[in-house]
Amino acid sequence: MIITIKAFARFREILGSETAEEVPEGITLAGLLEQIADRNPKIKTALYEDDSTLRRYVILMQNKKRVNKEDVQTIVLSEGDEIAIYPPVAGG
Amino acid sequence: MVISITQEDFDVNAMIQSRKAPEVGGLVSFVGIVRDDGITKIELEAFEEAALEELNLIKDEAFEKYPLMSVDIIHRIGMLNVGDNLLLILVAAGHRKEAFDGCEYILERIKETVQIWKKEFTEDGERWVPGEHH
Repeated sequence: MIITIKAFARFREILGSETAEEVPEGITLAGLLEQIADRNPKIKTALYEDDSTLRRYVILMQNKKRVNKEDVQTIVLSEGDEIAIYPPVAGG
Repeated sequence: MVISITQEDFDVNAMIQSRKAPEVGGLVSFVGIVRDDGITKIELEAFEEAALEELNLIKDEAFEKYPLMSVDIIHRIGMLNVGDNLLLILVAAGHRKEAFDGCEYILERIKETVQIWKKEFTEDGERWVPGEHH
């Protein structure tokens, strides 16, 4: 199935602004992040600490709803889901 | 009321004029402008759909917390120069206190959660402005 990934600011510069990612059925949000990180060391460094935990400044949205970090391992994605990845905001 | 994210500049005086009404006793405006922190220009990027939703949510929160008459928020994106308008928050209320409080509340909430980022360009290169809230 296909998941849309949108990335912003420093993450957009590494990932591109919008990509369609082919993933297996039943994949979790954590699984999706691992899949894209495994493909590119720059993405891996941007997303993960040395101990493979998600960096504190990584913010995630699923279909424009903010995701709690503790739920990343358990959220199962569905066809057509949109995942947004961005750093802390700096508007105003 | 206007809630927008746009590349276009805004006319503060025209906005103020359009929000005058018999029951309005005070209009408080905050105009954020691009400050010269040793930069040549700044680029603002937004996750527009999410940021607009967030701005509307913040507007609704402000109405729940304070007795306001109107709220306008215009946040600019794109490439801006030092001195350019960046953000307008215009709050109308019956009295000054709620207008000031409402305007400050909206500004602080924008800085916390609205999906907008700034990249500064200097003579030496470029840098992302770090966000404070996680």
